[in-house]
Amino acid sequence: MAANFAINNIRDFEFIIGEWLPTERVFNYPQFADYYSKDDIKSVLGPILKMCKEVIEPTNDDGENHPIKFENGKVTTPPTFGPLFHQLQSEGWGTSNIDKAPDAMVMPEMLHMAVWELIGAANPTFMPYVLLTTGAADLIQSFGDEKLKQMFLPKMMDGTWSGTMCLTEPSAGSDVGDILSRAYPTDDPRIFKIKGNKIFITAGDNDFTENIIHLYLARIEGARPGTGGISLFVVPKYWVNEDGSFSDNDFQTTGVEHKMGQAGSVTAALAAGENDGCRGWLLGNDPREHEGKGQGMAQMFQMMNLARMETGHMALSCIINAFCNARDNAKERVQGRLLTNPKAGRVAIINHEDIKRTLLMGKAHIEAIRAMMYRVYLAFDQRERDPDPEVRKAASDLIEMTTPLCKAYPSDEGWWLISEAIQSYGGYGYCEEYPVAQIARDMKIYSIWEGTNYIQSMDLVGRKMQMKGGSLFGAWVKEMVDFCEANKGNEALAKEFAILDKALKAYQEMLKVYAGYAKTNFSLVPLYSRRVLTITSQLYCGRQILDQAVLADKKAKELGADHYDYNFYSGKVASAKYYLHNVVPNVWSVCEIIADGDSSALEVPLEAFEYM
Amino acid sequence: MKVLVCVKQTFDTEAKIELKDGKIADAGINLIINPYDEVAVEGAIQLKEKGIAKEIVIVAAGSDKAMDAIRTALAMGADRGILVQQDTAADEFARAVALAEAIKAENPNIILAGHVAADDGSSQVPTRVAEILGLPHVNVITAVEIAGDKATCTSEADGGTQVTEVSLPAVISSQVSWNEPRYPSMKGIMAAKKKPVATAAAAAAENKVKILEFSLPPAKAAGIKLEDEPEVCATKLAEWMKNTVKVEVK
Repeated sequence: MAANFAINNIRDFEFIIGEWLPTERVFNYPQFADYYSKDDIKSVLGPILKMCKEVIEPTNDDGENHPIKFENGKVTTPPTFGPLFHQLQSEGWGTSNIDKAPDAMVMPEMLHMAVWELIGAANPTFMPYVLLTTGAADLIQSFGDEKLKQMFLPKMMDGTWSGTMCLTEPSAGSDVGDILSRAYPTDDPRIFKIKGNKIFITAGDNDFTENIIHLYLARIEGARPGTGGISLFVVPKYWVNEDGSFSDNDFQTTGVEHKMGQAGSVTAALAAGENDGCRGWLLGNDPREHEGKGQGMAQMFQMMNLARMETGHMALSCIINAFCNARDNAKERVQGRLLTNPKAGRVAIINHEDIKRTLLMGKAHIEAIRAMMYRVYLAFDQRERDPDPEVRKAASDLIEMTTPLCKAYPSDEGWWLISEAIQSYGGYGYCEEYPVAQIARDMKIYSIWEGTNYIQSMDLVGRKMQMKGGSLFGAWVKEMVDFCEANKGNEALAKEFAILDKALKAYQEMLKVYAGYAKTNFSLVPLYSRRVLTITSQLYCGRQILDQAVLADKKAKELGADHYDYNFYSGKVASAKYYLHNVVPNVWSVCEIIADGDSSALEVPLEAFEYM
Repeated sequence: MKVLVCVKQTFDTEAKIELKDGKIADAGINLIINPYDEVAVEGAIQLKEKGIAKEIVIVAAGSDKAMDAIRTALAMGADRGILVQQDTAADEFARAVALAEAIKAENPNIILAGHVAADDGSSQVPTRVAEILGLPHVNVITAVEIAGDKATCTSEADGGTQVTEVSLPAVISSQVSWNEPRYPSMKGIMAAKKKPVATAAAAAAENKVKILEFSLPPAKAAGIKLEDEPEVCATKLAEWMKNTVKVEVK
């Protein structure tokens, strides 16, 4: 049994976009002003929620029942995936939202991401086809000349063609600077012959689009070694001639991976130019004319950063659906009696203390992570369209700072959170007849995709914290300090603000210790970097969900307990209280561990691992 | 050819209905376009796609909330809307009078509607509209063919189907099996914001029905559990069906 789509309302999106975040300015940007307002959230998300239930969820079954096949050099995808891809892409829910044309009909990013969150929950294994096409089209739009844009973008946006990004090779994964793919000049200075092998290429092949446009990293002969010499090429599966017809491009799929989850998503091994017949268009400068320096990694990072946000967001989609399924099961399943009132008979398990805790723990994490992510999606809209350069710069800084958090925190926490959803089912949760087992299998990859979560943590401590001499990070932390200061008089949430304040102080002290490690024993920096990322995320999520609670508490009091929306707002306050009291204290706990500086993992002889 | 579709804003069919002080507690309930009317909208759009209809006008009578139903229909592909502002307590007669008045001003060739609303289930409004306008009415159709000023409608009938030819203009109300309504596309939703929606005051009409009381259906009784050897259970089940449920075997 595939995962049920158990999300049954969009109320939290209405709160986030319509009530909490300062989105008025975004809705008034010229691109959106005639089409959207805060009141239109339901008109966009309502139909998608319905479509998720009626159209997309059944395709998730298809992914499980008809997993990817590779026979005689051909990939076969689940039969419903193609029609769904064409429907979503042609109807404007997918790639076309990146269209930068002045008259393009697009949604604000924060609304678009809400659409993708729902679709991702309904069928996470389908989404890579849309996500990768979008990322590839975005690169062509950003770095391609007019000819390439005209050649590729319309068909990538309407679902006729799909796209991928090709980084990993058999000898180079996280260490992408070691790639062996090569590019050789031709008579046309923009076109190069491509030769190489790629592996782990998500959505790397399919049987439902006419062409697949690979954004392919390779090194031009004569370019620098390492990441600095890499260039990016547009390498279509089938070469696109001037008249739009196709020719063979010597680009083959050589195999697909058999994975623990994501059964409907192709993970392909690809071979380019085995017969010296593969060609690609260079994006950007020729490194031979720029001291051997290629632009490929910088260009690819634009796609990677988007993909990192999306990967974290897909993890969130899975967590939400797992918990909604667990909630429904807990409401229906009657077992046991209340310890506090055993004579009252058997009750639905949602009434038991441990199940209520499990569900609130899930709800609190979901809302905290969602709060963080939509705060950042608001910045995406501001960075792209705000007329004030200061607003655009601040938005860009926030995105830079938080991308590793948005990628890693949901995908790290998702694994054990979904495990807790499984736990709430009892033995049934471990059985494939129930939906949560599949969600766990599908979700695990997100902590590995798009730069493992260790790489994210090193990005945070090694790059993001140091940007502009650390001033960006300093301002980012100060904003949280100011938030606590501004809410000192909040009596209803005084305990929660005290917790956040205590965590912030411990975090700031830890930063000094951690900076010291960089000078005295650098190995301690990577040793603790993942934990630094986790507590940085918990601080930021704690700040966001507490901000939501301030508003929700006010609204709950204004409406009164008899109002139909009271339970929503009081539930928001409960989520924030749970998160602050049960999650944020981990910040000072980890800070103590880091200050302690245990280095046993560095000192242990490798041979010691043999005695287990 | 102008096609006019009557739509109603109803409770989400998945919403949990509760009573408060003897009335339906509708605050906070998700509202949707009546699913039967949605089929009629889809039917109209298909007529336009075939080149038969030139314009599709959506008409709803109700509070401002009914605007959402009109926008949904516009997002699906209709051209413009009319909101007839009326108290939500209007009964089927008053609702039909209000709709008929708006329809008369539009002078459409075909008036489509769902044959029933998912909330009150009274199945009266299309028939009453036809009666007020003096037009023929074909109900529960599952297919329609238009040729000139005639419509050939296929309807459900006991044990089979009924084919009716009717002169236009006519009121035609749809069964859900007519078609599968499309989902609004993103671009459709955006375009709907710019499509014109006029508002009009409802024609005066007194309710003919007074609702005395609402009550929820009685709670479902617990089932019977047979725990015995299979053949004994089968015998007990057969006896129960024969004596309690009164199942007759022909």
